[in-house]
Amino acid sequence: MKPMLVTFALFGTMPLWIEPVGLYRYLGVEIMIWCLFALGFNLLLGYTGLPSFGHGAYFGVGAYAMGLTQFKLVANLWLGLLAATLAAAIVGGLVALFISHRRGIYFALMTIAFGQMFFFIASKWTSVTGGEDGLLNIQRLPADFGVVRVSLVSNLAMSYFTFVTFVVVTALLWRLVHSPFGKVLRAIKQNETRMAYLGYRVFVYKWASFTLSCAVAGLAGGLFAMAQGGAYVQVMSLQWSGVVVLMTLIGGGLVSFWGPVVGTIVYFLARDLLGAYTESWLLWFGLMFMLVVMFKPEGVAGAWQEIIARVGARRRARAGALQPAAGE
Amino acid sequence: MKSGISRRTLLVNGALVGGATFFGPWRHHHVYAQKRDKPILIGLTHDASGQFANSGQDEQRGTIMAIEEANARGGVLGRKLTYITADTETTPATGSRVAERMITRNEVAFLVGAIQSGVANAIGQVAQKYGCVYFNTNSSSPTESGKDCKRVKFVWDGSGANFALAAADNAVRTFGKRWMLLTNDYVWGHNTSKATREIATKFGAQITDEILVPVGTRDFSPILLKVQQAKPDVVAAAVGGDDFKVMRQEVVKLGLDQKPAWLNNQQDWPDIYGLGIESVFGVFGTTWYHKLPLPGVPELVKRYQARWPDTRIDVPGNVFYNGYMAMGELVRAIERAGSTNNIKVIKALEGHKMSAKDRMQHHDAWIDPETHHVQQTVYLAARNEKPADKTDYFRIMSWSEPDKVRDADSVKTCKLAPYDSTPTYEQ
Amino acid sequence: MDLMVTLGPHLLNGLALGLLFALVALGFMLIIGVMEVINLAHGSLFALGAYVAVALVTPEGGLRLAALGPYFATPIPMRFVVALLVAPIVVAGVGMGLEVCLRRTYGRDPLYGLLLTFGAALVIEELIRLVWGPTERFLPVPPSISGGISLGGLIYSVYRFFASAFAVGMIVLLWLFLQRTRYGALIKAGAHDSEMVRALGINLKRLRLLVFAFGTALAAVAGIVMAPIWGVRPHVGVDAVVPAFVVIVLGGVGSFWGAVIAGLLVGMVVGLTGAFATAWSLVSMYILLIVVVTVRGRGLLGKKSVLEK
Repeated sequence: MKPMLVTFALFGTMPLWIEPVGLYRYLGVEIMIWCLFALGFNLLLGYTGLPSFGHGAYFGVGAYAMGLTQFKLVANLWLGLLAATLAAAIVGGLVALFISHRRGIYFALMTIAFGQMFFFIASKWTSVTGGEDGLLNIQRLPADFGVVRVSLVSNLAMSYFTFVTFVVVTALLWRLVHSPFGKVLRAIKQNETRMAYLGYRVFVYKWASFTLSCAVAGLAGGLFAMAQGGAYVQVMSLQWSGVVVLMTLIGGGLVSFWGPVVGTIVYFLARDLLGAYTESWLLWFGLMFMLVVMFKPEGVAGAWQEIIARVGARRRARAGALQPAAGE
Repeated sequence: MKSGISRRTLLVNGALVGGATFFGPWRHHHVYAQKRDKPILIGLTHDASGQFANSGQDEQRGTIMAIEEANARGGVLGRKLTYITADTETTPATGSRVAERMITRNEVAFLVGAIQSGVANAIGQVAQKYGCVYFNTNSSSPTESGKDCKRVKFVWDGSGANFALAAADNAVRTFGKRWMLLTNDYVWGHNTSKATREIATKFGAQITDEILVPVGTRDFSPILLKVQQAKPDVVAAAVGGDDFKVMRQEVVKLGLDQKPAWLNNQQDWPDIYGLGIESVFGVFGTTWYHKLPLPGVPELVKRYQARWPDTRIDVPGNVFYNGYMAMGELVRAIERAGSTNNIKVIKALEGHKMSAKDRMQHHDAWIDPETHHVQQTVYLAARNEKPADKTDYFRIMSWSEPDKVRDADSVKTCKLAPYDSTPTYEQ
Repeated sequence: MDLMVTLGPHLLNGLALGLLFALVALGFMLIIGVMEVINLAHGSLFALGAYVAVALVTPEGGLRLAALGPYFATPIPMRFVVALLVAPIVVAGVGMGLEVCLRRTYGRDPLYGLLLTFGAALVIEELIRLVWGPTERFLPVPPSISGGISLGGLIYSVYRFFASAFAVGMIVLLWLFLQRTRYGALIKAGAHDSEMVRALGINLKRLRLLVFAFGTALAAVAGIVMAPIWGVRPHVGVDAVVPAFVVIVLGGVGSFWGAVIAGLLVGMVVGLTGAFATAWSLVSMYILLIVVVTVRGRGLLGKKSVLEK
C-alpha cells in the first residue's frame, strides 16, 4: 500500500520537479502511460502466471481505436478512450478464447503468434491504420466535464490528466487483486490442476484475466496515441511486447503489485539517460534482466520486500531479546 | 570496421560542442550575459539505424559540414551554431519522441533531417505543434509537399512526382507501353507509384499490375518471378533504402536488368556506391552528381574528402548534397530574417530564389511559397559504360528545368496552416 | 492448366523455402527435445552464425588484420567452406554459455527458462549491433553457385537450388546421426525420459551441454545458408525464430519428420500466398499456426511433451 502512495505522490508532483532534474514533461507522461500498461499486464503475468509475449498488439489496437474514433465517428475524448479500452478488450477477449485453456510455453507461443498476426495486419491495412507510417494528426481533445473544459494540448495538462487516469485505474486494479477474484488468480498461478479439481472454472478466470489486462493495455494505448499525436505500428512488434515483459519482471511484478512501476521507470530512465552516452544501453538492460531472472526473479520489489522483512525480523529479535521468552 | 562516423562519436562530439544534452539543472539556470552568447542549437534528426541508416549518416555529413563552414565564417548573427543528434531509427514513433525531446528539453532552434517520409511526417507534426521550423532534407514522397505539407516544414529533395515527370515521357517512347509498378509498402512508395501511374498513363502507358513490396523484404524471388511471368516493357520501381539494394543485387544476379527496362525513380547515392558500376541498372533520377561539369562542384568534392576521409563513400552524392544545401540555406535565411524567430525565418524562405551557381545545378531553384517544396533541376541518369574513374557510376542523360517537372497536384492538396495558428517559436 | 503454369514456379520457390525452414527448425527442436525450455535465443544465434561467417569471408566483416591478408586472398569458395565449418563452432560456444546460464532455472517454473532465453536473445542481438553495427551486411556467395538459370522460360536463382540441396543433405545427415549413432540415441532417450537416462548413469549435465552446442551449431549453419537470401541484419534472428516456432508446433514437438513435413508445408503456404498476395505471405504462417493448434493441439505428428506441463 505504502509504495503505491509514494508513487502517487511522485507522479502527482512530477510537473514540478521533472524539468529542474533535467528531464522533460513528455517523458513523464510516457512513463505514466507505460506504468499503467505494465500494471495491467502484471495482472496476467504476476498474478495469474501466464506469460504473454504479444501484449503490445493490444496497446496498439487501443491507440488505433482512439485515432479512428476521432476521425471516423465523433471527436470526443471520453468516447475515444472508451473505444480504445473496448476495442482492445474485444480483440483480447477473442484471442483469449483460443488460448485460455493453455498455459506455459504453448500459451506464450500462441500469444506471440497472435501478436505477430495483428502486427502484420496493422502494417498492411494501410487504408485503415496508415501502415508503416502510422495514423497521424491525432488530436489531444479537450476534457469536457460539462461545467469546465480543460485543454490537454500542453504537456502539463496532459500530465495531470494521465495522472488522474493512472490513479483511478491503479486503485481499481488494487481492489481487484485483493478481492476473491484476485485470490483465485493467484491460486491458479500456483497450481492450476488443483483449482480445477476444486471446482473452479479455470478457463473463465484465465479468460477474464487476459481480457482485463488487454483492456488496460488498450486504455494506455489510447492515452499514448493522444500524447504522441499519432498511432504507430512499431509498438505492436515482438520487440516492444517483450519490453513490457522485461519491465514488469525486473521491477518485481512476480511478487509485488507496484513492482512493474519500478521496472518501467528504470527502463525509461535508462533509455533517456544512458542512451545519451552509449548506444549499448539496451545491452546492459538485457544483461541486467538475465541476471535478475537467474539470481533474483523476484526483481527489485522482491529484493526490497526481503530487506524490509529482514529489518523487521531483526527489530523483532532485538525487541524479543529484551523480554524473557515465553515459557522460560 | 564501422564505416563513417559512429553514433557514439557524434553524440559525444555533439554534447561537447553543444553542451546541451545532459547538463540538466545547469541548462535552466544558465543566464547568458547577452542573447548573442547563446548558441543556435540545431536538432539533427537523421536515421542512424534501420532501413535508411546509410543515407541518414550521409546526409548528416552534409548538415554538419555546412554548420562547420558557417561557424568558420563567424557564425550567424554573431552566434555560434551547435548541434545535437538523435537516432530516429527509421521509425515514426521514435521520430515523434525525438522531436518532443529536442524541442521541450533541449530547446533546439531548428530541426533538420529526414529520409523516410513516415518519420518526416511524424516529426513535422510535432514541429508544427510547437512552431519549430523543420527542414525535411531527403524525404521525397510527393505528399510531403502535398497533403502533409506544414507551415513550419520545408522540403529540399525532388519528389517522386518530379522524377516521374522527368522520366515517364521518354520511357514510354523508348521502351514501350506495358508498365508494371513495384511499390514499397509505405507512404513514399505508395505516393510515388501513384504519381508515376498518373503521369505515365498521361503519356500513353498501360499499367498492367502493381506489386507491393513490404518494407524489409529480403527475398525478392516471388516478386521477380511475377515480373518475369508478366513480361512488361517497363518496370517502374518505387523501392528504397536497403530493400532496393537487395532487389538490385537479385535483379543483376539473375540477369534481369536488360529486359524489362527498369525505371527506378530516385537513386540515392549511399545505396549504390560501393556495389560496383555493374550493379547500376535502369534509368533513374537524382538531384545532383559529383561529376557535373559546373563551377564549384570539384571544390565541394575536395572539401568533402578533406572533412570526411574515413567514410567508405569516397565522393559526395545527392543525399549529402541535399543535407548540405538545406543547412546552408537555413543559415542564409536566418541572416536575411535578422533573427531566429520562426515566422520571420519562414517568411524569409518562402519564394526565395537560389541561383544555379549557388546550387551547383544547371538551373536556378526556388522555394515554392504554396507548398514549401524546393523546385530544382532534376537529372536523369543511367549506368556509365565509360567511367572516368572508379567513382564515376552515372552517365547523366538529361536534365529538366524545375518548371517543366513541377508537381501541379501537390499545389492542389497542400493546405498550409495560417501564420496566426502557428505558435511563435524562438530560441 | 494455366493455373499450374502460374503457380508452378511459386510452389517450387515455396518448396525451397520450406526445406530451409525445416533446417532452421530442426536445431530448435533438438534443444526442446532434451531441455525443458524453448530457446527463444535460437534466432539470435542464427543471426550470429551469419555474422561470424561474414567476418570469416570478407575482411570488412571485422577481421581487418594485416596478418590475415593471405587468408582473404584465397578464393571465395574456400573461405565460404571455412565459414561453414568454423562459424558453427563459435556459435556452439556461445550456446554452451547460454546453457550454463540456464542451469539456474532448471526445476523451477519453465516460465523462467523462457524469460531467460528471451533476455539472451535481446542481449545477443544488441551485442551483434554493437560489434558489427546496425547496417546491413552482405555475405558473398561463391560464383559457381550464384546467378540465374533458365527453366521453362523463367529464371531461377541457382543459389536457392544449392541451398535446398544442402538442406536436404543436412536433414539426412541429422537423421542418420540420431538413428545410427550412440550420441543420437542418447539425445533421443534424453528427450523421451530424462530421469531414466540419469538412472542409467549417463551424465545428464554433459548431455544437455552437448545438445545445446549441437542445436545452436545447426542454427548457425542455417543462418549462414540463409544469409544470401534473407540478408544479414541484427534483426534477422526474429525473422528466423518465429517460423521455427510455427514449424515445431505445427509438426508436433519431438517429431523429427513432423518438423520436416511442417517445414515444407509452411514453406509452400508462404510461397503460394506469395503468388497471390505477396504482402500477406508472412501472415499466412501465423494463421496456419493458430488454426492447427486450435484444431489439433499437438500438431500434426506430435507426442505429449514437456511443453504441455
